[in-house]
Amino acid sequence: MTRISNVVRLQLVNRQAYIFVPLIVLGGAVLIGFLVFLLVPYGGPKYAIGATAAPLWSFVVVGIQALTLSFPFSQALGVTRRDFHLGTVLTAALTSAMLALIYLAIALLEKATGGWGMRGYFALSGLDGDAPLAALASYFTLAMLCFLSGYWCAAIFKRWGTVVLLTVLVGVSVAVVAAALLVIRFGAWDAVVGWLVSQGVLGLSAWGLVLAAGLTASSYATLRRVTQ
Amino acid sequence: MTSVIEVEHLTKRYGAATALDDVSLSLAENTVHGLLGRNGAGKTTLMSILTAQNFPTSGTVRVFGEDPYENARVLGRLCFVRENQKYPDHFKPVHAFRAASYWYPNWDQRLAERLVSDFQLPTDRLIKKLSRGQLSAVGIILGMAARPDVTFFDEPYLGLDAVARQVFYDRLLEDYSDHPRTIVLSSHLIDEVANLLERVIVLDKGRVVMDAAADDVRGLAVSVVGDAAAVAAFATGREVLRRQSLGNVTSAVVKGRVSEADRARLAGSGVEVTPVSLQQLIVSSADGGLDQGGGVGAVAGSRRGDASVARARNGGAR
Repeated sequence: MTRISNVVRLQLVNRQAYIFVPLIVLGGAVLIGFLVFLLVPYGGPKYAIGATAAPLWSFVVVGIQALTLSFPFSQALGVTRRDFHLGTVLTAALTSAMLALIYLAIALLEKATGGWGMRGYFALSGLDGDAPLAALASYFTLAMLCFLSGYWCAAIFKRWGTVVLLTVLVGVSVAVVAAALLVIRFGAWDAVVGWLVSQGVLGLSAWGLVLAAGLTASSYATLRRVTQ
Repeated sequence: MTSVIEVEHLTKRYGAATALDDVSLSLAENTVHGLLGRNGAGKTTLMSILTAQNFPTSGTVRVFGEDPYENARVLGRLCFVRENQKYPDHFKPVHAFRAASYWYPNWDQRLAERLVSDFQLPTDRLIKKLSRGQLSAVGIILGMAARPDVTFFDEPYLGLDAVARQVFYDRLLEDYSDHPRTIVLSSHLIDEVANLLERVIVLDKGRVVMDAAADDVRGLAVSVVGDAAAVAAFATGREVLRRQSLGNVTSAVVKGRVSEADRARLAGSGVEVTPVSLQQLIVSSADGGLDQGGGVGAVAGSRRGDASVARARNGGAR
């Protein structure tokens, strides 16, 4: 346990990647959002959901660099792959939770202030009045999925190289498109949309976490044999 | 002497290329080992397998009697900073040192600070912005201040100027005498590190071509320069590692001890006799001289397979 928490400390020795960069991106995006709300001459509700999604993208980069840079450094210090993996995913979870809490605070604030007094909204929950838990869960899950997709791709790249990574990514894309085509072919769009709606934000977040668990497990299996 | 690392029949292949070819050796506790050889001889590959950063194709590695792979008990006692070590993107040297202090119970912050000032390392600059020499200094400081049971230094002097290199050698020796531990220093600057070494392991094309106590290697051969006939007479019945002639002057590296009688005879013919440095010996052994010379024992044994590897290992340079 000490070893895993030491990996968390190692990852956060410099708080820039996991904490400051996402916060700066979020702060900047929200600021720009305010300006846009002020400048747009429209009396109805205005939405700038992209502003709160912006810091998520930095998590993709953080996930990639965790494997390409932090992992080799941890190896120099004699950290086992297992401890590195668990500590790194835990770091991502802690910082995702931090971002999710900030997102929730934004959602609650803008609800309380009627969209900052400008009818301007950054959080999805502003749209449909979702419960705070749904706001937290959805944002946490999205942040984790962003981090893990970068981490997962980097693990494949480090172990097998560019060609295999591209093949896997093309394979995943083809599978998604094929699934969509099948849905269209059998005229099942209504059923699919109906299922998605029935899951709700919480249900979809739970499915997202299942996907995240799969990415975590397969990243670890790959990482166990990664060399430099 | 207790050994901390045992390697048996270790082979590593990358596709058709063989990086390590049936390497067997052991590293002794509280000893400074030189892992010498040309670029591409397999030095970094060997160290990365010993630290479980890489995997053998065949053969076994035991560190403190155990398999090091995913073994926190063992890995926690090792430190191996690569020559091209990667660091997290936003790291400054100060972050790398702090992170290392979490992992190594013997981390010596005062030593780290002293080395920082010795190397004039800017600790508040991003590592990715550092010069090659400064980057080497970061690795040296990590390896020394962490003070683990086994430290691997991988060509640690790259980009350092002569003064900084001397600082490294002096500090390493100083700290080593206060805190004995096992040190593996990989290098292709052989003479520069020769005085630090207690044990010399030479790799060539993935094979161990020498594994001997440094004291035994010194004085293993002599260089003789002078009248061709006198040199030829001296060389008769001895192994000649290298011979060059210009007119009637011959320069030769000859294996074996020189008796007082030999010395007097050579001096009488105006032949100059000088000891051969470790570097000269290895260079002489690595080029053509060997292949013609036949079983050079400790120096070149393993080119001829297992039996001579064993001979090289056991025989040392006696």
